Order: sequence, then structure tokens, then C-alpha cells
Amino acid sequence: MTKPRVAIFDFACCEGCQLQIVNLEEEILDLIGAVDVVEWREAMSEQSHEYDIAIIEGSITRPEDEKRLQIIRSRAKLLIALGACATIGGVNKLKNNFDLKEVRQCVYGKDADMPHLNTAMTKAVDEVVQVDAYIHGCPIDRKEFGLVIRALLLGKKPPIPDYPVCVECKAKENVCRYEYGEICLGPIIRAGCGARCPSNGFRCFGCRGYVDNPNVEAAREVMDKYGLTVEDLKQKMVLFGSKQEHTL
Amino acid sequence: MSAVKFTRKQFESFVSALIQSGRPVMAPQAKNGRYAFGPLAAAEEFRLDYDVTILPPKKYLLPQTETLLTYQVGGACSSVRDAEPMILLGVHPYDMVAINQMDELFRQDQYDKHYMDRRCRTTIIALDVVTPSENVFAASMGTATVKSGYDILLTVLPDGSILADAATDKGQELLDPAESTPAAEADLKARKTVWDKNEKALNKHVLECKPSYLPKLLENAYDHPVWEEKARLCYSCGSCNQVCPTCYCFDVQDQVSWDLKTGERKRCWDGCLLENFATVAGNHNFRKDRAARYRHRLYRKGKYVPGKIGGQIACVGCGRCITACTAKIANPVEVYNRLMEDTELG
Repeated sequence: MTKPRVAIFDFACCEGCQLQIVNLEEEILDLIGAVDVVEWREAMSEQSHEYDIAIIEGSITRPEDEKRLQIIRSRAKLLIALGACATIGGVNKLKNNFDLKEVRQCVYGKDADMPHLNTAMTKAVDEVVQVDAYIHGCPIDRKEFGLVIRALLLGKKPPIPDYPVCVECKAKENVCRYEYGEICLGPIIRAGCGARCPSNGFRCFGCRGYVDNPNVEAAREVMDKYGLTVEDLKQKMVLFGSKQEHTL
Repeated sequence: MSAVKFTRKQFESFVSALIQSGRPVMAPQAKNGRYAFGPLAAAEEFRLDYDVTILPPKKYLLPQTETLLTYQVGGACSSVRDAEPMILLGVHPYDMVAINQMDELFRQDQYDKHYMDRRCRTTIIALDVVTPSENVFAASMGTATVKSGYDILLTVLPDGSILADAATDKGQELLDPAESTPAAEADLKARKTVWDKNEKALNKHVLECKPSYLPKLLENAYDHPVWEEKARLCYSCGSCNQVCPTCYCFDVQDQVSWDLKTGERKRCWDGCLLENFATVAGNHNFRKDRAARYRHRLYRKGKYVPGKIGGQIACVGCGRCITACTAKIANPVEVYNRLMEDTELG
């Protein structure tokens, strides 16, 4: 049996999720034992137009990037969105809250009108093409990357949690951030990270996006119970949750 | 079997000896202003006065994740049996009752080797509650004190000394070498006053019926509006399940290794409040609604599980779910009392 050919591409992102793959270190030998990596700009110089699985990192912010992504999609049998920028638009979606002209001016100053900087509203990968599997997080979890890839190679459904971060947070025996009178996005955000932020003294920032069916109505009333407001909560959602569905 | 009395100093030596015995000793220790069971490194870290731990000690008998077996894809598999001896120190009566119930559940039907291996290698030193937690209602559930399941029962007496009562040979063997004095009649009386006090004090939420009434109460409550009313605010985060000492549902997943030829079958905690708890092959979810899932938990505690274990109610009144629920809707006493008000018992 020939090994599936994998190509890894990046769009608008910090490339930190690819770096997480590089950070598999010795396990990377296992990865290339299971698949043939035919293109991966961050780690090798070869390129190829022939691949079975495309892994897409980053969000889509320019019309020409949409075209490039569509071409990749047409070549790949399976397309995986890698990391928050790809799965939910990520931090890049912050700009969708503002007038794009102002954003360009603010970021690029006197170069704002250069044609290659003419960016559009940020889109997650699945707002442009069909996505077959998601590997969530900012950055992704290396262990989860392995689990998803191996499940897909066996033709199985990838084991992506559809329950909130609270499940993993409770398992770690963290004291709930709400008990400290703080807002945490954990109850409406997809788990899989092992509640990394709450376990290290922070709230959940929401980088894995909403669970499929978050109870946003509850969020409003529950804030009341803690003397907080939905405005407080919305503010915390801006970083990773701008212009996504289920908006509070 | 006999009861002995420790001074504080003697007790510390006793605990130090347990630690030095080589078996891991798991005991409640302070954690970020709350308490959690963890490996005990020094006797003075053990908090006799803890109110309640964030997770119950079930995590040692039914770990959050455990490997059941290893397999070859399309080939042979072999069971993983890795239970090691351990001592659970400072288990409160309500948690002891919960463990007794789990023992019964994992023994019946398909004898669960993985759970029972651990249970049989575990020595349990129970401890009567010193500080009631903010949401405990063990007294309402008849679990403020406990009479069985442990190897030793510790009680902090009003004078600060500690009574240790062995219930098994395993427990007696631990007490024998320790420096102590035999318990006198007066000490046993003093213990009775602690029990009497706890029967009243561990009741921050008062169930307005005998727990044995709950199965009957729930017979006529399936369509009661309370399920919708409460579940409206449910995040489906499963916190109530995670912290519950009697929740024992698990999911089983295969994890194949990179060679795609070998793998491990793991089980990990699941929770009936989670959206996809009841999702089966073909993506059919037979408990899609929050209210149906919310109701299921209360029915498990009050009716379904009791039906498997001779009528014992599977809520032990630890109050952990009340504290853990961010939306503050998980209190079983509130729900059962509400049903008491509205439901005719026929």
C-alpha cells in the first residue's frame, strides 16, 4: 500500500501551529513513516501539486488566497484545517470589527495603499472551501494532532471533543475561575486542550471556538448570578470569538 | 479488632509510618484555597479538617483515563492489569458510601476486573467529618456517618485526640505497630457525640422526605416542568458528573499508534449531561435535549441506580455538584423538594 501524500500550506497566521508539528521532534519520524510529506514550506524545500491530504494553517484574508485555497481543495481528497486561524478565523478576525480602510491605515501606515496589502474581511477556511477535519487550538495540541491524523489514516472519525473545557478543567481539579469572581469562557468553548489556561492560573480565552451547541442564553443569566454582565463576557469573546456564529 | 486513641503527635508518627511503608498514600491536602486528594509526601500535609475535596477519591479506583487493553489491528489483544497497592487516607463517610455503592455496581453483571483489581489492593482509612462544607447534605441522605467499607475509621474527638477503629485485619495490621493507647469507654462515648453532631450539622440543604422515598417520587415526575426550568440554564458542561462520587459512566476509545498496526483501548470518564453522551453509531443522539439529559442525572441518582443496588440512593449528599455547577442549577435537594411539593405520590 502506498503511503498517503500530505502537503502542508500556510495562509494568514504566525505559523506557530506548523511549529507544533516540527516540535513533535522524535515523533516526526513516526509521522513520516505513516505518510509521505510532499510539500511543507516551513520544514522542507520540495513542492508538489500531487497530494491526497492538504493541511491548511491560517485564515483567509485576500481574494488571491481564496483562489489558491480553492486550487488546493480541488487537488486534495481530504482537507484539514489546522489551528485557530484556520478553524475559526482566530485572532485575525479581530479586524472584522473595524472599518477595513482604518485597519490598513493603522497597521501599514504610509504603505496602506500598496496592492498586496489590500486585504478583505478574515475568513476561516470553511468559509471558503469544504473542510473534512479540524484540529483546533492556538496553538494546536501536538498529541491531538497525532490522534486526528492517525484516526483519519484508518478512515475513522477523528476524536475531537464536542464538550466544554469545564470537563477537562474539573478533571484537573482546578478551582473554577467563577469562584474567584472572574469570567471564564470554558463553559461554552470546545475542550481538547486539557484546560491548559485555567490549569495555569488564567481563564479560558476561547481559542478552540464554541462547542457545536453552546448555551449562549444561559450565559446571559449566569453572568447575573455572579454580578457580571453579558458585556463583560462579550469583551472576553472578542479575541477569538469575533464575528463567529453563536455571538452573545 | 480494637479501637485505639492517638495524640496528635502519635497520629503524625502513624501517618509518617504509612508513607514510609512504600505504598502511595493518597490524602486530602490544601489546593488553591480548596482541598484535593493527592499523593502525601509528609504527614503534616494531611488536612484532618478538610471540608470536601474538589474531586472525590473515586479518581483512584476509576481513573479519569486508563488503558484497558493493548491490541494489534485485526489481531490479538491483551488485557492491561496494572493495579498497585495504595492507601486512601481521610475518606469522608459520604465518599465511603459512594465507594461501597461502586463496589457493588462494578462487581455485578460483568465483573469489572480493572476496577476491582484496584479496589482489592486499596486500603481505606475513613475519617469522620470535622468541618462541614458549604453545600453538604449528607445527613439528609443518611451518609453523615458510615458503618462499613473502610479498613480503619478515624474520628477526631472533642479533646483533639484521634480515635482509630480497625474494621478489618488489614486495618488492624496498620494500627498494631503504632504507638497509641487503647480506647476507653469514654472515648467511644465521645465519638458518639461527634456522630450525633454530624448527623445534624452535615445538612446545609434539607431533603424534605426520606431518601428511600425518591424512587417512588420519581415514578410520577417524568413530565414535570422542573426539568425544562432548570435545564434552560444548563451549559451541558458535565461538571456535576465529573465531581460526583457516584457517577461512574465511561467512554471507550481506541488509540492506534503511528505504525497503524498496534494500539491501546482506553476508557475515560463520561457524563450524561454532555451533549453527545447518548450519541451512537450513525450519529443518532437519543438524548438530544438538555432537559432530557438533566432529568436523566436525577433519575439515575434517585431511581435507576437504586434499582440495581437494593434501593440505596445513588446521591450521597456530598454537595460537590452544587458547588461545581457554574449556572447553579445542579442542587438535587432543590429538585427533589420541588417534586415533593407538586407530585402526588398516589
